[in-house]
Amino acid sequence: MLTIETLKQFGADVDTGLARCAGNEGLYLRLVNICVQELSENELEAALGAGELEKAFEIAHRLKGGVSNLALTPIETPVCELTELLRHETPGDYDALCAQIVQKTKELAALV
Amino acid sequence: MANKRTTFRITEKKRRILVVEDEIINREMLRESLESTYDILIAQSGEEALEFVHNQHETISVVLLDLYLPGIGGIEVLKKIKDDPVYAHLPVIVMTSDYEAEVECLGYGAIDFISKPYPPSKVILARILRTVELSEDRDTIHWAERDHLTGLYNKEFFYHYAMQLDLYHKGMETDALVIDVNHFHTINDRYGKAKGDKVLKHIAGSLHDIVAAEGGIVCRSEADTFMLYCPHRNDYEALLSALTFTIEDEEAGDSHVWVRMGVYAQVDKSLDIEFRFDRAKMAADTVKGNLTNPIGFYDDSMHDAEVLAEQLIADFHAAIREKQFVVYYQPKYNVLGDEPVLSSAEALVRWKHPKLGMVDPGVFIPLFEENGLIQELDHYVWSQAAAQIYDWKERLGLTIPVSVNISRVDLYDPELVDNLLKLIRVNRLDIEELILEITESAYTENSKMIIKKVEHLHRLGFRIEMDDFGSGYSSLSMLSTMPIDALKLDMQFIRNAFKDRKDTRLLEIMIRLADAFELLTIAEGVETAEQVFTLKQLGCDIIQGFYFSRPQPAEEFEKFVMAKKSIHSINWAVDARSAPRDDYSYNALHDALTGLYNYSAFDVLFRDADKDHIAILIADVDNYDIIKQRKGKEYADKLICHVANVIKENFRSVDYVCRLTENEFVVIVTRVTKANKAPVVSKVEKINKTLKMKCDDIEPVELTVGIAFSDSTKPDSDVFKDADTALKRMKEIKHSGYSVF
Repeated sequence: MLTIETLKQFGADVDTGLARCAGNEGLYLRLVNICVQELSENELEAALGAGELEKAFEIAHRLKGGVSNLALTPIETPVCELTELLRHETPGDYDALCAQIVQKTKELAALV
Repeated sequence: MANKRTTFRITEKKRRILVVEDEIINREMLRESLESTYDILIAQSGEEALEFVHNQHETISVVLLDLYLPGIGGIEVLKKIKDDPVYAHLPVIVMTSDYEAEVECLGYGAIDFISKPYPPSKVILARILRTVELSEDRDTIHWAERDHLTGLYNKEFFYHYAMQLDLYHKGMETDALVIDVNHFHTINDRYGKAKGDKVLKHIAGSLHDIVAAEGGIVCRSEADTFMLYCPHRNDYEALLSALTFTIEDEEAGDSHVWVRMGVYAQVDKSLDIEFRFDRAKMAADTVKGNLTNPIGFYDDSMHDAEVLAEQLIADFHAAIREKQFVVYYQPKYNVLGDEPVLSSAEALVRWKHPKLGMVDPGVFIPLFEENGLIQELDHYVWSQAAAQIYDWKERLGLTIPVSVNISRVDLYDPELVDNLLKLIRVNRLDIEELILEITESAYTENSKMIIKKVEHLHRLGFRIEMDDFGSGYSSLSMLSTMPIDALKLDMQFIRNAFKDRKDTRLLEIMIRLADAFELLTIAEGVETAEQVFTLKQLGCDIIQGFYFSRPQPAEEFEKFVMAKKSIHSINWAVDARSAPRDDYSYNALHDALTGLYNYSAFDVLFRDADKDHIAILIADVDNYDIIKQRKGKEYADKLICHVANVIKENFRSVDYVCRLTENEFVVIVTRVTKANKAPVVSKVEKINKTLKMKCDDIEPVELTVGIAFSDSTKPDSDVFKDADTALKRMKEIKHSGYSVF
């Protein structure tokens, strides 16, 4: 069961995320759940695996919006980094960042 | 029921916000942040957003717009909103994490941005609140300072901004312009108000484009009046033509929209801004209805006129009290008979101002007509004139009817009839002795009421003259039913007919028209013998003007009349044909001895003759000098009269027989060509045959005659010269008889 406490332990900046939800903890936790589902669909990994960088950027950008607003810092950091690389298709270790996102998503999913 | 009533209201606090966001997490966060304060509409795509904007733009206070959207992107949505004048006022806040995109969006008209990740919801709320306040203030100001139809400034704010412009551009020469649409109400009447509004919007649009390109500001100050304050220019024609256009309408037909413009160029900036535009308006009024020259320029004389007008209005009542207004009288002559007969006089008011001297009635009458003082002045003139008629009757035994002016405003006075009858009674006048002149234009406004009123006066026995006929727009069909006795042709009408190239066709038509309706025609402003002569020829009944006499004060007029002893008819000239001749020497056009036309008349007649269809005969009495020397002047005069009679008897009434010099006669034979040579020659033979016979105590004489016919194939030929050449040829060979050129 996901709680404010477990999210804090996960490393999320819960206060900032809550401030964006007008302090509504229920909403915040519900939105985190939605975010975990989106992340777990793993579309990003598939797109990168298929070499579809443009599609990968769109997915990353969309994920970034939710993850950043919820202040899920451990996932936010690699998602932002990957999004910026993909924006201009700057060479970089896309797979490593993706693996980091997948790993952290799994950790978060385990809390749910 | 009560419930329903409470739901039908506008909540003051709960503004409506359109949130455009496809991402569920962001969307839900915003919903949570805003829902308690605002009414939220959610669009998940650009298309959906535009649909909301299209359907509900009037109730949306702010749009929160995400840039990354499926389908139509956020930037595209923003552009679509801002490019449409109907939606452009909607404040759009863009939500993005991209600084470059922020700048781009501000350029497209976004009012603010919210960064991603979002700031705390309190911050979002505060920013939205600020945006709503700003944009509502902006709208309030916009509609307070603007005309709702055209979107141009209204007058008050226009003046305010014009003064601001002056502060920023102190040294710049500036023009104040007033633009009016000619006959705008007829556009509304003809095409309907919606089209009328379109016309105003069109002009507003053109003016807006002009100031956008050339600087300045513009407003719609009244219904169909626009004001423009702009850098000085020299050419106003281009501006005018940019504002002139055609309304196309299949049903009502196309119509040209004409504007007129008043220009106060290079304004005096020490004047209040309102005064500058008063001057431009004054200039615009000078070209009202003038389609050929629709630009009026203000000059200082207009200002002087304005100052003068104020003084005259201020001095009016003292002038009435102190009898500064003096009534002058100008005679009207009936010219139907051989000699003119005085038929009546017109009372004309003059103002002997103690400081300004004689004030031109052309200045004060229109002024008093405008502000209603004319009514008081009219009453004054009527009573002076009525008393004068009585005085002349009593003191001199002369009955001279006098016409007075009835102004339009008098006709609305319920006591008009009573007042006039009272004057008749008090001064013991016959009712037809006070003639009423009513201007043509009075009939066109509220014509039913006016005609009824005038009919009443007419039935009572007042003679009615329609003044200024030809200057207004009275319907010709009205003439037959109008209660009038005479048409007084507008002075300008006479002037135009005799201007540079004489053209009396219109005059002739008017006189015939009056004749057909059994109305007398009166021509005023007649100045020359030529005019009198032509008017008489055309059948005009009565003539008034400097040719006979200027308007004069009563005493002088009285002397003039007594000297001429020319009062014959109080029947208001109806029986003028049978009126006895008087000895007034009007006949500048006739030879005193023979009664034939004299040299001046010949001049006029020859000039106006149809040069393609005339013959000229010049005739000399043979040996006239010897006869005169031998038998004396008395006999010579008798001889000339005899010759004149014989010539006159032999020509038609359409021919003109003139005596040019003592011994020289000229006949203008009209409506002939060379083909008619035989009958013309036979007339000359007949005349000589008659003259060669002894008649009473006149010895036989003979004429030497030169004849020439006009030749339309030789436009430069001079038929008079040709006749003269033919006459000289005969004289050279010392031969009596005739010669044809």
